[in-house]
Amino acid sequence: MKSHEWFVEHGVDYATGTLDADDMATFEAHLIQCEECRRETSRIEAELAWLPMGLAPATPRPGLRRRIIQHVLEGKSRRLQRWMAPAALAASLFLAVGAWYAGNARARGLEDQLAGQQARMAAVQDTLSIMRQAGRVLQTSVEVGGQRGGLVIFADEVSHRWNVVIHGLPPAPPGGRYQFWFICADGMVRGAEVEVDPGRPMMFTTEMPETGGEVMGAALTMEPVVDTAGPPRGKKLAHLML
Amino acid sequence: MKKPRLESAALAAQPGTGLVGLAREASLRHRLIARDEQALVELVDLATPWLLSVAQAMLQDRDEAEEVVMETFRTVWQNVTPTGEGHTGLMPYLLRVARHRAIDRLRGRRRHDRKLTAAAFEWSQNSFAAVEPDEAGHPGWQVHSQVHAALEALPSEQQAAVRLAYFEGLTHSEIAAQLGIPLGTVKTRLRLAFTRLRTALAGLKEWVL
Repeated sequence: MKSHEWFVEHGVDYATGTLDADDMATFEAHLIQCEECRRETSRIEAELAWLPMGLAPATPRPGLRRRIIQHVLEGKSRRLQRWMAPAALAASLFLAVGAWYAGNARARGLEDQLAGQQARMAAVQDTLSIMRQAGRVLQTSVEVGGQRGGLVIFADEVSHRWNVVIHGLPPAPPGGRYQFWFICADGMVRGAEVEVDPGRPMMFTTEMPETGGEVMGAALTMEPVVDTAGPPRGKKLAHLML
Repeated sequence: MKKPRLESAALAAQPGTGLVGLAREASLRHRLIARDEQALVELVDLATPWLLSVAQAMLQDRDEAEEVVMETFRTVWQNVTPTGEGHTGLMPYLLRVARHRAIDRLRGRRRHDRKLTAAAFEWSQNSFAAVEPDEAGHPGWQVHSQVHAALEALPSEQQAAVRLAYFEGLTHSEIAAQLGIPLGTVKTRLRLAFTRLRTALAGLKEWVL
């Protein structure tokens, strides 16, 4: 009969699986009745769980990702296939090919989805990169219909792009729409039409206009829906000068 | 004028866009529980290089290592819980499952036929090499660097004992026989090594996901 101290002393050995078989069995029997040791061995396992990360990562062979996903989702097992009796293999060949095709198509679909997500992620990262290296940040408050929001511009002076954030505004009233403008040396140049979602801030990335001369600032107006060209005619809501 | 690329600010806070580690981990776990296959794909991409590394180093068989990795993902897919096994992160959970699967296979082999060949020792020497810092290429390299540094800081005789115990799945007696040293010496070396490693690794935060 081992004392409790023995189990405390050998907690690391148990958690790392280095106890000999007899001691391992003894330890497991003890754990059933000792919560303190259960907690301690769990803690040790958690602390050492990162240890395998000390090994250099391996480069997966082409196709492994697809096989993993197939294996998880379709329940396929290469090990089973490897040892399956030839007769059973022949009998199931047709089904296996069908399952492989279906799984393959599914995996391809997932890869396509991932590619789309990665493209969106790259776009977000690109957008955020402007914020990180913004040489200038401009902001002003905007009030529409008694509701107060804001207009913020992160100006990246290296890539000459802006991230524009508009927040806290109500949806445009019937017949109206929010319009973003560049205030240029030669006049106002129309920027993006802004669709406001009251539930979350609206952000867009914009390059500098190709016409109008030097950009001196920006403005936000409420334009009639029918006006999609020409100078501003609606109510000015806010402006910012560089 | 070019049309502006529109992005909602809310998108940046959506799961899977690689922001805060803990937040993404929680999001991935939630989505895995909800059987979101996209979350599985993300997890596979993030974790496979590390799981494959462990399994390959332990088993010295690329095909078998890949099978272990596949089994690991299936296990996690089928058993992931809201709080995590033992309240640990997804990555520690994956690593633990992979290591246990590999040890099961190692112990399944007839031990007296298994020889620790020169090649087996070669991996143990080489695989502790640090990865060049490349955050984009290898998510998790910071953790790797810390763990690697902790392993490297051990005296060589303790490193050897840890390799045999943790990555080869050998017991105290087997290590003593392998190294030709007394059983008590093996226990002492391992105890000292794991105590130092626990201290060094206790502060690690979850990088995944």
